[in-house]
Amino acid sequence: MKLARRMPKCEVPSTAMGDIAFNLLIFFVILARAVDDSHVKWRPAVSSNIQTAGHAMLRIAVDKDRKIFLNGQEVGAASITADKLSAMLANAPQGSRKVFLKVDRETPAAQFEPIIEAASAAGAELVHVLNEEKR
Amino acid sequence: MNIRRNAKLLVEPPSVATGDIAFNLIIFFLVCASTQPDSGRRQDLPRSETKQQQAQQSKNIEIALSKNEILLNAQRIPEADLASRLKRDLAAKKRPEDRIVVVKSSKDTPYDRWISITGLIETAGGVVTLQLEEEQTVLR
Repeated sequence: MKLARRMPKCEVPSTAMGDIAFNLLIFFVILARAVDDSHVKWRPAVSSNIQTAGHAMLRIAVDKDRKIFLNGQEVGAASITADKLSAMLANAPQGSRKVFLKVDRETPAAQFEPIIEAASAAGAELVHVLNEEKR
Repeated sequence: MNIRRNAKLLVEPPSVATGDIAFNLIIFFLVCASTQPDSGRRQDLPRSETKQQQAQQSKNIEIALSKNEILLNAQRIPEADLASRLKRDLAAKKRPEDRIVVVKSSKDTPYDRWISITGLIETAGGVVTLQLEEEQTVLR
């Protein structure tokens, strides 16, 4: 009697594939958070005439404890200079030199005006991130 | 002969499906997190002026802003009247360089007040320019 040989079953280990995909995603999420400033605690000022701002090249934030963040990283006030911002904006063309400014509504002028001045001197297109005024 | 059947079946959760579900959940939350765009107000500021430059352009409208009061060309003015006064003063000025409004804020002026006043200036047709205090060292 002839017995048929059993062929060994070959399968791609799908569990491992899922794990790899999951880890890749976590990796990219963490990378994305490096330039994210969603962890900054700030209270936006309100204004009536606001528009959707689009995509920012740089994000500067001042939180309610008066700490300054550049692209989500805490920096000192002296780090926000026109030269530094200019270098970060590099040769970006007009229309894509947007700098988003998220300033807590109670921040005094002594702190936010030098930032505005530096961004302006660097040739940035300044966008104040605000909340719509409710009527 | 009695053959004992293995009654205990090996039941495994479908691990492929679990991975896919986790993957799709992450994509879902990522998309949710990134679909809320920031909104705000664009502001084009000419370079701020030093006191010396500002003295040369004395014709510009000047607003001194503090926590509690507004001075328009050194005269105290209620906030409610600012927009109408600015519109009147800027009406005759056609060139953008003539429509410059120099804003000088005291150090304690809060951001929300600054945003509100500069918004009024821009709505009235003015071009906001900041005047920052320059630090000076006194030598003895």
